[in-house]
Amino acid sequence: MAAIDAGGGDSGKKSVNQEIPLIPFIDLLLCCVMFLLATAVWNQLAAMNANQQVPGQASTEDAPPEDEKVKLILQVRNSGYVLGSSAGESIDIKKRAVADQKEFDVEELATKLGQWKQAWDDRDDMIVAPEDGVRYEDVIRAMDVASAAGFTNLSMADGAAFL
Amino acid sequence: MAIQRPEPVLLHNIPLRFVRDRVSGHGRKSVDHQIPLIPFIDFLIVLVIFLLMSFSASGELVAQQPTITMPKAKNTQQIEVSPIVAVDERVITLDGARVADTQTQGQSAQVDRIEPLIQGLEAEKRKWETIHPSEPFAGQVIVQADRNIDFRVVKKVMFSAASAGYGNVSFAVNQAE
Repeated sequence: MAAIDAGGGDSGKKSVNQEIPLIPFIDLLLCCVMFLLATAVWNQLAAMNANQQVPGQASTEDAPPEDEKVKLILQVRNSGYVLGSSAGESIDIKKRAVADQKEFDVEELATKLGQWKQAWDDRDDMIVAPEDGVRYEDVIRAMDVASAAGFTNLSMADGAAFL
Repeated sequence: MAIQRPEPVLLHNIPLRFVRDRVSGHGRKSVDHQIPLIPFIDFLIVLVIFLLMSFSASGELVAQQPTITMPKAKNTQQIEVSPIVAVDERVITLDGARVADTQTQGQSAQVDRIEPLIQGLEAEKRKWETIHPSEPFAGQVIVQADRNIDFRVVKKVMFSAASAGYGNVSFAVNQAE
């Protein structure tokens, strides 16, 4: 056991020797370990939020209609990504061939979205419109890239509506 | 206060000579052993710090299901308490209760309503409004889907959720490093 020994104490004075109570301290630490082990969360789960109300669409609440804004649309098609806007812009990012398979060109999408963010620096909203047949993982990856580029206010829409 | 050389304090107070000889090891190997408590405490402190780093005050709101491999994402937000719609390769469940077959929903190209899901979500909504009468309804639902699921199925789930008044969707993902 740990102790502080200052000597003396034999000549009628009060002893100044002190014992540090290590056992209760170890008990406390063991209790902490047990509590933290019981409440530990090993899965780092998180969420990507999106709403189903497309920007510019009439709200269900009695809010005044916002000014007609250019809609920025990211389509996730089976052939690749299409970045478009209601102003008529359209950028096609085709899938690239990787080891006999075609994969979505995420790097190119990140580059183009970065350029778009510079052009539309006051905007953080974007419509993500996946097509039928696209894997869920590819849609989430596109949303992740859009969030990283600064388009954090994502809305989901049916991809068929923009074909 | 002067600092003096430490002495074996315990042995001064033991009047029995044979015990004193035995403990102090006069002529023999000492049987006095010290338990190394300080390294043990160091180890416990390191363990506590490691566990504190993985501690989450909100707890585990969404359990990882063995049949679902969720996609990974970096730019994420915290999950909030909401009804959970899980979509694996076989079934669609609402808070663990089966509401539809994934295969059946994936075959039809039309965006159909999943009626059992809508009814379940509406019941959840009524329950929430009863418990929180003064708070506005957030209309948030967690979609926990397998990464290889056709988005058509997820779209039907979202359409049904919107029909039940749940316009905000949180897609559950694994946090990427």
